[in-house]
Amino acid sequence: MWPGRWRRVIPGGFPRRYHDRMNPVTSPQGWPGRVRRRVRRAWGMLHTSALVLALLLSPSSYRRENRATLARHVYLGTAPLLPWFTVLVALASLVVIRIVVVTAASYGLSQYALEMVVRVLVLELIPLTAALFVAVRCTLPAGVELVALRGRGGFEALRARGVDPLVTEVVPRVLAGLFAVVTLAAVSCVVSLVLAYLVVHGLTHAAFDSYTRKVGQVFNPAVTLIFSLKTVFFSLAVSLIPMVSSLHDPGSGKVQALPELQGLVRMFLLILLIEVASLMGNYY
Amino acid sequence: MAFKAALLMLLVALLLSASVAYLLYARGVFERTQKLVLLSDDSEGVVVGMDMTFSGFALGRVNRVELSPDGNVRILVDVPRRDAHWLRQSSVFTMERGLVGGTRIRAFSGVLTDPPLPDGAERRVLRGDATAEVPRLLNAARDLLANLQAMTAADSALNTSLAHVQDVTGRLKGPQGALGLLLGNEADARKLIATLDRTNALLARLDGLAAKADTQVFGDQGVMPETRATVVQLNGLLADARASLKKVDAVLQEAQTIAVNTREGTADLAALRAEAESSLRKVEHLVNQINRKWPFARDTEIKLP
Repeated sequence: MWPGRWRRVIPGGFPRRYHDRMNPVTSPQGWPGRVRRRVRRAWGMLHTSALVLALLLSPSSYRRENRATLARHVYLGTAPLLPWFTVLVALASLVVIRIVVVTAASYGLSQYALEMVVRVLVLELIPLTAALFVAVRCTLPAGVELVALRGRGGFEALRARGVDPLVTEVVPRVLAGLFAVVTLAAVSCVVSLVLAYLVVHGLTHAAFDSYTRKVGQVFNPAVTLIFSLKTVFFSLAVSLIPMVSSLHDPGSGKVQALPELQGLVRMFLLILLIEVASLMGNYY
Repeated sequence: MAFKAALLMLLVALLLSASVAYLLYARGVFERTQKLVLLSDDSEGVVVGMDMTFSGFALGRVNRVELSPDGNVRILVDVPRRDAHWLRQSSVFTMERGLVGGTRIRAFSGVLTDPPLPDGAERRVLRGDATAEVPRLLNAARDLLANLQAMTAADSALNTSLAHVQDVTGRLKGPQGALGLLLGNEADARKLIATLDRTNALLARLDGLAAKADTQVFGDQGVMPETRATVVQLNGLLADARASLKKVDAVLQEAQTIAVNTREGTADLAALRAEAESSLRKVEHLVNQINRKWPFARDTEIKLP
């Protein structure tokens, strides 16, 4: 709750409280101050994101003493999700493929069914689903863990021992999120392609050449590039934003929304922007 | 844990590598191809990556679409060498646009024993556009509907004709029937019926007349036996006439002979006349000479007593 929002300004008079029982603490600068504060906060988050990305790309983050932590986070972030997600995606894909194929056949457009399935499922739905699944099951809980760690003073303790908490606590979680999104998306795409082949052609290898040709037609260089970039940006969005939001939890006595909720909103917004940009790139 | 993580990362790396390799294979990167250039005047609907089919099988892939300096469209198609034997020098290439779906490029090889199509061959593609026919079809349909509307309008000729036909059939069903329809009123129909009755009576009388005429003509004392006898007599007369004519013919021949003789005699008379004229000229000449030499005869006047 920001009390400043509930203030009423009477033209020519003094600002007064909305209710007598409410806290009269308000920002002395008004809305320019709030905007400035938000810009400063956004800039700080961007700076932290750049720092984490630089640490991700830096070989020093993958030193021997960090490898065990990295491996643990990567494995625990991906392996438990992989079977369930694959099964769920397989079921959903089966339903979508069946609907598309049957509908296309009823309109006499069977030759376009496969292309549509590949475009809708593999190019659009699966990367988005994988990113959201990883966000909900992996990176948002990891952000909450970081907030709790900071609350317990874990970061200060690490710094006191001469260990950078960004390297030991943040980078492994971000890497786990990145790897999980890419792995889940890749496995699910392969499963969907196999299911599409089986639903359309059945258990035979006779149609492999024509199917491969169709897939090749869909995955032209531009579409492949956009698909790859979209998956990478999705993984960055769902991995970085919860961690960075948890690092920028103000916690200075003001009543604030939960950092994971703010991170979720930011993440959804960014995912939406990436999806819109990819659609524009593919179809305009 | 580290081993499991490494194994997982290795599997994912393998999966990604295999996916990339499959996509490259699907895009035909590993295929040995030969070029085929299709020339057209319009590239609408042709996109890079679309298939060229032969008997429904994908045979090549459009690699590039460009404009030539003369304004024609050059569609560069990559044909895998293992499938290139289906294309022959006599192959025909078509580009069709249906009402639904995109443009299709198709190849037809009628004579598979012809020499194979060389690498980089240029062929003109035949275009067929179903949508181009739509405006013409719409115009024709509009004309047809306008004509139909004009035909079925309340004051149209067809409707008027049908009304007349209905009137006619109504009058046919009436008491006067077809006669009333043809003649227009009842009095004329009655007249016609009276005429028919009288005609019938006349025919009955004509029948009696014909019987009598038969007797008169073909009876024992009829015209025909008399005629036959007359003909016999005429035959005899004709025989006599033929004999007379033969005699006349002989007379004519004799007359012809006489005429020939007379012609010859006439020719002799001419010679004789010429001689007589010559003798007279000589006598005249002689008389003239005597007159010149005779001194007394100056007075040429003849005095009649």
